Amino acid sequence: MLDDAVYREFEEVVGPDNISREPAILDGYTYQIVFNPTPSPWLNRPAAVALPCSTEEVQGIVKVCNRHHVRFKAHSTGWGVFNAPGYEDMIILDLRRMNRILQIDENNMFALVEPYITCNQLQAEAMKKGLNCHIIGAGPNTSVLASCTSVGGVGWTGISMGYNCRNVLGVEWVLPTGEVVRLGSPGSGDGWFSGDGPGPSLRGIMRGLFGAMGGLGVFTRVAVKLFNWPGPKRIDARGLMFDIKAEVPENIKLYILLFPDMQRFLDATYDLGDAEIGWIHSRNPAGMLFTFLFPGLMRETAGRPAMRSAMESIKHMVSFGIAASSPGELAYQEKVVREVIARNDGVLIDMGKLPQFESFMLFGLMRSTLSAFVFRAGGNFASSLVGEETTDSGAPQVDLGVRIKQEYIDKGALIDDMADTVWGSIYENNLFAHYESLMTFDSRDPRQQEWIKVDEEVVDELIDRKWGIGIGLSGAGTVVHKKFGPHMCNYDKWQRRIKKALDPEGLSDPIGYTEPGD
Amino acid sequence: MALREYERDIRGCSRCSICKWVPFAQIKSVDCATVCPSISRYNFHSYSGGGRLILGLSLLEDRVELTEEVADIIYKCVMCGACEVSCKIYRDDIDVLRVIEELRFACVENGMMLPEHMMMVDAMKQEDNVFGEPKSARGDWAKDLGLKDINKEKADVLFHAGCRLSYDEGLRGVVRGAASILSDAGVDLGIAGADEACCGGRAFEVGYRGELEKYAEDFASRVKASGCSKLVTPCSDCYGAFKQLYPMVGKELGVEVLHVVEYVEMLMGQGRIRPTVKVPLKVTYHDPCHLGRRGEPYREWEGEDKLKRPSAFKMSGTRGVYDAPREILSRLPAVELVEMERIREYAWCCGAGGGVMEAYPEFNSWSANERVDEALATGAQAIVTACPWCERSFTDALEERDEDLEVLDLMELLARSLGSEPDA
Amino acid sequence: MMIEELSGIVGADRVSKEKASLEAYASDNSFTEGCAPSAIVSPVNAEQVVEIINLAAREKAGLVPSSSAPPRFRGDTVPEREDSVVVDLTGMDRIIKINRRNKVALIEPGVTFGRLAREVAKEGLKVLMPLLPREGKSVVGSYLEREPILIPKYHWDVTDPLLCAEVIFGTGDMFRTGSAAGPGDLEDQWASERYQKNPMGPGQSDLIRVVQGARGTVGLVTWASVRLEPLPSASRTFIVAADSFGELLGLVYSMLRRKLGEEFLVLNGTDLAAIVGGDREEIEELKGRLPPWSLIYRVAGFKYFPSDRVSYQVNDIGDLAGAEGLEPCRSLAGVSEEDIGGVLDGTSGEPYWKFGYLGGFADIFLIATLEMVPSFLELMEEEAKKAEYPSGNIGMYVQPIQQGRSCHVEFTLYYDEGDEGERQKVRGLCDSAIRRLMDSGGFFSRPFGPWCELPFDRCPDTAMLLGKIGKMLDPDGILNPGKIPYRVV
Ligand SMILES: Cc1cc2nc3c(=O)[nH]c(=O)nc-3n(C[C@H](O)[C@H](O)[C@@H](O)COP(=O)(O)OP(=O)(O)OC[C@H]3O[C@@H](n4cnc5c(N)ncnc54)[C@H](O)[C@@H]3O)c2cc1C
Ligand code: SF4
Ligand code: SF4
Repeated sequence: MLDDAVYREFEEVVGPDNISREPAILDGYTYQIVFNPTPSPWLNRPAAVALPCSTEEVQGIVKVCNRHHVRFKAHSTGWGVFNAPGYEDMIILDLRRMNRILQIDENNMFALVEPYITCNQLQAEAMKKGLNCHIIGAGPNTSVLASCTSVGGVGWTGISMGYNCRNVLGVEWVLPTGEVVRLGSPGSGDGWFSGDGPGPSLRGIMRGLFGAMGGLGVFTRVAVKLFNWPGPKRIDARGLMFDIKAEVPENIKLYILLFPDMQRFLDATYDLGDAEIGWIHSRNPAGMLFTFLFPGLMRETAGRPAMRSAMESIKHMVSFGIAASSPGELAYQEKVVREVIARNDGVLIDMGKLPQFESFMLFGLMRSTLSAFVFRAGGNFASSLVGEETTDSGAPQVDLGVRIKQEYIDKGALIDDMADTVWGSIYENNLFAHYESLMTFDSRDPRQQEWIKVDEEVVDELIDRKWGIGIGLSGAGTVVHKKFGPHMCNYDKWQRRIKKALDPEGLSDPIGYTEPGD
Repeated sequence: MALREYERDIRGCSRCSICKWVPFAQIKSVDCATVCPSISRYNFHSYSGGGRLILGLSLLEDRVELTEEVADIIYKCVMCGACEVSCKIYRDDIDVLRVIEELRFACVENGMMLPEHMMMVDAMKQEDNVFGEPKSARGDWAKDLGLKDINKEKADVLFHAGCRLSYDEGLRGVVRGAASILSDAGVDLGIAGADEACCGGRAFEVGYRGELEKYAEDFASRVKASGCSKLVTPCSDCYGAFKQLYPMVGKELGVEVLHVVEYVEMLMGQGRIRPTVKVPLKVTYHDPCHLGRRGEPYREWEGEDKLKRPSAFKMSGTRGVYDAPREILSRLPAVELVEMERIREYAWCCGAGGGVMEAYPEFNSWSANERVDEALATGAQAIVTACPWCERSFTDALEERDEDLEVLDLMELLARSLGSEPDA
Repeated sequence: MMIEELSGIVGADRVSKEKASLEAYASDNSFTEGCAPSAIVSPVNAEQVVEIINLAAREKAGLVPSSSAPPRFRGDTVPEREDSVVVDLTGMDRIIKINRRNKVALIEPGVTFGRLAREVAKEGLKVLMPLLPREGKSVVGSYLEREPILIPKYHWDVTDPLLCAEVIFGTGDMFRTGSAAGPGDLEDQWASERYQKNPMGPGQSDLIRVVQGARGTVGLVTWASVRLEPLPSASRTFIVAADSFGELLGLVYSMLRRKLGEEFLVLNGTDLAAIVGGDREEIEELKGRLPPWSLIYRVAGFKYFPSDRVSYQVNDIGDLAGAEGLEPCRSLAGVSEEDIGGVLDGTSGEPYWKFGYLGGFADIFLIATLEMVPSFLELMEEEAKKAEYPSGNIGMYVQPIQQGRSCHVEFTLYYDEGDEGERQKVRGLCDSAIRRLMDSGGFFSRPFGPWCELPFDRCPDTAMLLGKIGKMLDPDGILNPGKIPYRVV
């Protein structure tokens, strides 16, 4: 409960229409089923929700929080358990009124956005200027700022547009104690083209492989890198999803690549990386596509040996795309991909020959519209392992994830998706790869409440075998740190210290980050 | 059905907020990316489709009580169904709009109606129309048009004007135009005149499911008695009630139900309507919710687990009427259609639906103004629609603005092109 | 002080108090004023570094890390406190691992560009070079300083080409950044095909970003993994000449946007002459002959169809250049393709190339967007005029970074080494120019020399936050004190 007088102070900052403590409203910020390891969809109900519309208002709220020792947490679009309040007596800052693209710098290839600009919106506007943005795998409905500053950053276009942690330029940040800092060049009033310095880059405090999940204050603006988009300013489509019909531009090619085994998939991936070609590269096993796109059919046929063996034989499947800026570049990239496939005994399916599917896949891959299909089979999903190192190192982790998942499928705790639903993507022309083993289930079904155990088993085994950084378990927070810290140079100690330096009172919700400490 | 019956749907919500947005492949700009007027206007998550599901669960689990404040959230929704379209792209197992309806039924059951809605329903009870205008004046619009009275003589087509077109004097030209176009094309047209009654759709939308059932029952028997083979209406609101709501409450009219634009398109195809007069006008077309996604025919599915529901039974919005009006426009000499960004299944609502026009005029006007802005951005000289509620919303919105944008019903524009602009 | 303890850690022969060696650190080729250290200690492994840091913390003595051989520039290694001990890391010079498939090397800080380039070439790989580093320049040191590399397309993020590192913080804690953190030690990681390639993390912070750019003030790096790229199987270099930088801007932007070309830099005639010319006379002569501005780039092909790659890029660039009225040439004013190749691949000969022209030089460098550059050039010329410094002697180097989203702009003011008046003039010019460049939007992301406080005055909030972080990583303020002004909050 918030004291009335404190509530009134918040109200003075944002105005009475933009704050609420109506329980029915608060429940909208209490419910989260995605990555929620508990059987209940309800987490902690906050004491109030505010809708600030400017950095000044965010700062105003944070200052009131500091005066009265009230915890707070920001969210942008608010999808997933990371947004759930860690405590009951806190205030949530729903940033949806901060929804402007403040700048698209065409020459210098970046955009300056507020928290509630989604990837979809930015992509649509960037394309008008011949640019594109990396959209995280979660989908185009997510906040650009959130994946840059506060959460993950993996997605289908990592091969050409990187990982969002590394796509950040200048940042505006309301610290947990209420000061506003602009990292990098904008801090000195010099435009938003750099987020680093002077001197050490505080981007490294702002986030790491993962963001602070609301545990280090509020980010109010971010300058994010954009990348060349050689396609048209706008791709007009008819239809909504499966029925989409769009003219795929001539300089864009989409392929499905199939490999006979893991080794040849890996070899080809290294070759494609070294050749520095490609716009999209994503491992999407056939089982995964079937489960997401045809859940009914999958349900009917998953148990059949013939189906299983068919899926098994085409599981090393990659969606690959080229977006070329000239006919010469297109011809070169096509020639290389065909050669790579030939040398690695693969099969190349040119989606241009399947126009209906090509239109669907164009948006699916370019705009990450396929993502929410993970909910289609059972209503919920989770993902267990994240191998984020070399492409080779992911291979045994894939097998591990699949094996453990199968045990749960066998006992009915997960939906049968032919067991290989390991989504993978490579970054920066194969600097590193990301793999995650997706699982679908129906969290309304009492038998299907065990995804977190899969996660734990996978992580434990990865640690035991010293195989990798299996950051599952929803990615962050004290539970995860306890598991990983001792095996990873006690990084959690530094996080506690960072937290203490920036937020000695622990007001910026520590649940997804850490408590302050030594 | 009660809210409880939708608990599985509700618990399936991933809080992805996709229901706040235009379907992804159709997002073309930063400004026209949102699709839900309610969340766009009131901002707290509970005002979105997904937020309404969560609210439903809060109520089911007695986490919150159905207070006036809660009813206020429930009613600040135009019931446009856009959330349903966007959600359904991904989900087979969630019927967002059905839950939104159930929340309203719960309000009525628990005496949490809004005074404005009670007045409307009282008016319906007394005068068979939503305005409380005298029932006897209902057929006045057709004066001197020489249309058949189906109470007295048989007609092949029953023309149902609907409450707004029957009483809104400012829209007289629309209804007279529509009827004249049909009769001029040789359609054997009849009206019920003063005996025409409200379709009941608006009562249903504010939570009075029983009222709709009554009106549907009554309507079905009248239609049957009339012996007509087709029911044609120029009102999208009524159309949506006939196509979607009546079957939902188990009432089939037993005749072919057509919006006038569907019928006109058919007649044009047969060469029975030939627009020849050039009307040089750049227009944009606003898809009325109740003709489009909310006009999609309802099909009851009996199964238990919606994950297994065949797509033919899913209300995805795609089977609404979108092409017929555009086809008509394309046949009007010198008329140029420029599309807005949010069209068809993902059109932005005018703001009149769901009892909002009655209870929250300011919200209605806000939503209409958003649409007017979008229309203006196309450079169109007129915004054309096919529903009197939309037309009224836009006209009122524009009254307070100094913009050069004409608001027209498609039948008005067609009448011009036929050289037969009727007196209003 | 401490000599005994230091000797106890590294052995007496690895601690020096020799006056000449100490004096050599008291100043460098910059205007930085400092003092000689009290000792030089040369550890050979990370454990020794930990002990040295712990010792310094106990004694509250300063430690000045140094990884490269002289000559030194920019003031990073000039002690500001007399009690400082220089930690000379040049002896930690193992190339621990080179992995061809993953294009990565794991190296200690004493490994130099020349040596690494030779070693990785054997595997068909190349090191990402800055512009003609001196022969003894530490690869790790250069990357930690955020010295720009010549190939902007490989500069995805500011940390590149640095990936993971082992760092000893001022607290004495040993830490490994990125995926090198674990699980497992390096051997375990290699055994599971992990090659320290993911630069992010571990966890929810990226401490490598704080170590980089810190001028040795938060931690000492004892090894790092660095990104390598394939050696081309075919390549061609080009020069595009222009009368002004502005003329090149359109082409520069369009090539960067499309990631055309490999090495890619813009030099003015003075710098190009200083690079390819031999002695002063030759440089003067070349300066007269060379165009005012040159865009230099290389086009390359790799394993698959190398000549196809070269030819489509040559054609595409030709089209883009043509549209701007420019013409790529293979050689220019006597500067041959070979000369250019040397610039792109090599380290500087002896003496360091910037000494060749007039013996002395001072650098001013900052980052900006490319379109800001022309106004900075004007500004520099104005300031030079005011200072009565011949603007024709200003070398200018523009290096796109972060794939073209910004650029490193470097002005080199060449002056007569023996002429103290000239030196003071240049110092004055640096001072006024730096202040004006800052006021005009130039971002001095890498503070240097006596001006290292200035950039922080412009961003008090960042300085405040940095103060907190500095305190956390080096609570006793022992690491290279004074090089970054950690402001006490
Ligand atoms: C279904 C699903 C799939 C996912 N798949 C991927 C994927 O493929 N790749 C990937 O990288 N990530 C993925 N994620 C994680 C993802 O990055 C976030 O959940 C994502 O949704 C971020 O965008 P958002 O707008 O939803 O952020 P939000 O949900 O609004 O916020 C996410 C977190 O960031 C914090 N936060 C948000 N905004 C701010 C701010 N302005 N200041 C401070 N803190 C803030 C919040 O407190 C919260 O902890 C997935 C998540 C879900 C739910
Ligand atoms: S209703 Fe559907 S679209 Fe909306 S949040 Fe829930 S699952 Fe997502
Ligand atoms: S019906 Fe319309 S207004 Fe109501 S929640 Fe859905 S989209 Fe929003």
